[in-house]
Amino acid sequence: MTPREVALRLVAWLRRDRLSRQLTEELQAHAEFLTRDLEHEGMSAVDARTAARRQIGNTTVLKEYSRDAWGFPALDRLLQDVRYAIRGLVHAPGFTATIVVTLGLGIGANAAMFAVIDRLMFRPFPHMRDPGSVNLVYVETNVTRRYAYSTIPYTRYLDLMRPARSFSHHAAVSEWRLAVGTGDATIVRKVAGVSASFFDFFDIRPTMGRFFVEVEDQTPMGSLVAVLSHDSWRVSFGARDVVGEQLRIGSLDYTIIGVAPPGFVGIVQGRPPEIFVPITTIPANIDQFNRNTYFTIYNWDWMEVIVRRKPGVSVAAASADLTEAYKQSRRVQRETNPRVLPDSVAHPRGIAASLRGDGPNPGPESRVLLWVSGVAIIVLLIACANVTNLMLARVLRRRREIAVRLALGVSRARLFGQFVMEAVILSVIGIAAGLAFAQWGGQAIRSLLLPEGSTFNLGTDWRTIGVASALALAAALLTTIGPAILAARSDLTTSLKSGARAGTYRRSPLRSALLVAQGALSVMLLVGAGLFVRSLNRVLNIPLGYDASRVVEVISDFRGMTLDSATRVATMRHLLTTAKSLPAIEGAARVNTRLFATNIATLRVPGIDSVEQLGRFNTQVTSPEYFDVMQTRIIRGRAFDDRDGPGAPSVTVVSNAMARALWPDRDAIGQCIEVSWNPAANIPTVPCTMVIGIAEDAAYQTLTDEQRFMYYLNVDQMGLGFASRILVRLSARPTASEMERVRRAMQEAMPGDGFVVIRPLQEVVDDQSRSWRLGATLFAAFGGLAVVVAAVGLYGVIGYTIAQRMHELGMRIALGARSGHILRLVLKQGVLFASAGAAIGLAIAFIASRWIEPLLYKQSPRDPAVYATVGALMILVGIAASAMPAWRAVRADPNRALRAD
Amino acid sequence: MDNADLGNAPILSGTLDLLILKTLSAGSFHGYGIALHIKRLSREALKIEEGSLYPALQRMQVKGWIASESKKSPTGREARYYRLTSAGRKQLGQEEADFKRSIAATVRVLKLSDT
Repeated sequence: MTPREVALRLVAWLRRDRLSRQLTEELQAHAEFLTRDLEHEGMSAVDARTAARRQIGNTTVLKEYSRDAWGFPALDRLLQDVRYAIRGLVHAPGFTATIVVTLGLGIGANAAMFAVIDRLMFRPFPHMRDPGSVNLVYVETNVTRRYAYSTIPYTRYLDLMRPARSFSHHAAVSEWRLAVGTGDATIVRKVAGVSASFFDFFDIRPTMGRFFVEVEDQTPMGSLVAVLSHDSWRVSFGARDVVGEQLRIGSLDYTIIGVAPPGFVGIVQGRPPEIFVPITTIPANIDQFNRNTYFTIYNWDWMEVIVRRKPGVSVAAASADLTEAYKQSRRVQRETNPRVLPDSVAHPRGIAASLRGDGPNPGPESRVLLWVSGVAIIVLLIACANVTNLMLARVLRRRREIAVRLALGVSRARLFGQFVMEAVILSVIGIAAGLAFAQWGGQAIRSLLLPEGSTFNLGTDWRTIGVASALALAAALLTTIGPAILAARSDLTTSLKSGARAGTYRRSPLRSALLVAQGALSVMLLVGAGLFVRSLNRVLNIPLGYDASRVVEVISDFRGMTLDSATRVATMRHLLTTAKSLPAIEGAARVNTRLFATNIATLRVPGIDSVEQLGRFNTQVTSPEYFDVMQTRIIRGRAFDDRDGPGAPSVTVVSNAMARALWPDRDAIGQCIEVSWNPAANIPTVPCTMVIGIAEDAAYQTLTDEQRFMYYLNVDQMGLGFASRILVRLSARPTASEMERVRRAMQEAMPGDGFVVIRPLQEVVDDQSRSWRLGATLFAAFGGLAVVVAAVGLYGVIGYTIAQRMHELGMRIALGARSGHILRLVLKQGVLFASAGAAIGLAIAFIASRWIEPLLYKQSPRDPAVYATVGALMILVGIAASAMPAWRAVRADPNRALRAD
Repeated sequence: MDNADLGNAPILSGTLDLLILKTLSAGSFHGYGIALHIKRLSREALKIEEGSLYPALQRMQVKGWIASESKKSPTGREARYYRLTSAGRKQLGQEEADFKRSIAATVRVLKLSDT
């Protein structure tokens, strides 16, 4: 079609009513001319008119053909189909609503999961140039139980990049939460230390000013320059011209030199960094101790490395290159530290892995995520089975209508097309419903899975919308093809001959199979949900050995203040006294490490050759109030008190498990351990620390660790540098205002620019049970969803068959059947489907559940209680779904049945 | 040849447009006139069916080859008259040449095959 023809067709289409009138007139004229000519040839007027009409033939068909020239016939037919489909859907609101909701739930579940997983694992970082060639560098050895670490020392970064030939770019990245600003305006912000080369990984230009360059990022100390993120520039700096302004970040004063463009977050998950500074300024900023050595030492893991592979270099080749470089680096390291294991033992490996996700380590969370995505897809399958069933029922119900239309000359292809169009329209509505469900109903999933501060708006998330649309279309086609073929194939004559009733009730093996499959799939999900919930329950019931629910943690940040030891001790004492004097608190204590970030010292016990062989012994340095504040029971002996001052003999409290492991046949109290904080120290010179008490076992390493070897040392006997955290036990669960009150009071007690951060300790504990909570919540949510969808499907089908059998049922009642009999007849159907589904589902779950065993905590994947409950639940669902139709069946009117024929 | 009765001949597929265009090159006609004209010139051999004529006219209009307007016929009856556009004249030249070439070639093949 030439553009001119398109234009002319468009004009014709707009004027089609007029053209149609013109054509009618034209044909009229034609007939008159013809009649006149025939009369001239000698025909009678009447004969001539008849002959003319006969010759012109069917004017309607003629007009139909002519009309093809006006406008776009294919488009016209399409629009007609759309109108027809919409009319059909509007006339069956129950059917439409059921399908839209079912499809919407299925698609919504998948959209929500995809949106989350995409953000966590796949989505490229904004503005990154050619993200496919960018990797995060990991290293691993046998010593670390084949766990790959991406956090490495700066020295290692230099070592790895010097010999490596596979990369065109490399950059170091390190994220910190630092106090920014001065005085009252001080706020903790996320600050990213990055190499100057970092910006070359992205297609970006600064919104204002410039980024920092190579010469400003040099060891030992880079220039004190900072680039603001676009958001923080807008929100915290009012989008004014900030270039050249001074900003105190951490303990140093920086000059702002530029603002990053909107959307730029670097490679950070969750809350984006607000400030970018040269990574070589980070050590001086946060760690006075390593500021001049961080690029020659190997014992400070604090930053990550991203690399861009040269064109044509595969990931495997890059990893091989990194492995060689890593071995070389370890050789250099060995020169200063002979304890670095040889390659033959450690098997060092460098890995170029993806930027997102857990890299080479399949962590339990990503495994749970994959499982749950599978579950979401199963929910969609159940929804599809449901929709197929409803569509089939609809085709059967419309059999006569279809036969009549076929008889009137609608082509089967057109009929098929109309069914597909109906499906497409349903899927479009389904997408909208699905995205709405995902946006509003996915709140729980998001808060569970995404890091705090992530943005989540599905309305503008084109990747998710694309996936949801693809799924919806696939679902629509999957669910319509069968019914559409059935409709297009329907046998004309029998359908036309048969009455509205005859032959419509027939058991369809396909529909029964779909129902059973739905039931089976839901049962599988419910078994999963049951197992995860029970497993979570077990995790939550693990005795922790402390109570964190009313404790808040106060972390003090001295912002690089160099305090002499006496001042430091005095400051910490002052802070503790301040905490203790707060109203509505039960106590306060100082500790050295936070929960689950354990410390180990070199430990020797007289009479035992190698303590390390027994397991890992964690240590906590505390003030004497600790056991009261954390409510860790002292089983025997005593906690620290006034007797254990700086001059007194050093003492320790050990966990019950540690006492039994070290002195299985003796009383632990009064025994001696030797603790040294210097790995190279000569052990015999370390004085004896005497055990004075045995505390209940506490979960310090992980929530589920079996070995709870733990010993506590008294901060008063340890000297400086220890225990800068303060735990405060409130008399009630901490509310936001309570927390703020504590923060304010503690802040006032800090000297100079010092800064405190505060958070509930329970958060730290909850983090530990995350992967179980995740599995339980998501499985339960999707399992519930699946059952609802399956129940709706069962209800729909049984309801439909009952409606078809009303005549037969009425007949039965007329012949004397009792209500109980009719009721049983219908309920039996529901229960039969439900139990068939349950039996198959339970069998599959029984076989498949061993795959989720590693994700469960002390929970047998074949727990009979779970299987029995789920089976019973499914049968209840079957009864519930057939109850309404059964009630309707009982009220079937025998009079109508008798009068009908 | 001029006076010979040509009998009934089918309209070769694809030549309807050509016949209409050629007719209109002689002046403007209404639909009945076109059919009549072709019938006369072909000595009753080519009968244009109304069922093909009017759809063809509509189609050629949207292609821009012909245009139409309502005029009084000599008998005083209002009728729709078609005329050739410049695009239609070009199309006619093209189709005529194509047709002649095609016929000549076909005839050649028929002749050669007969001997």
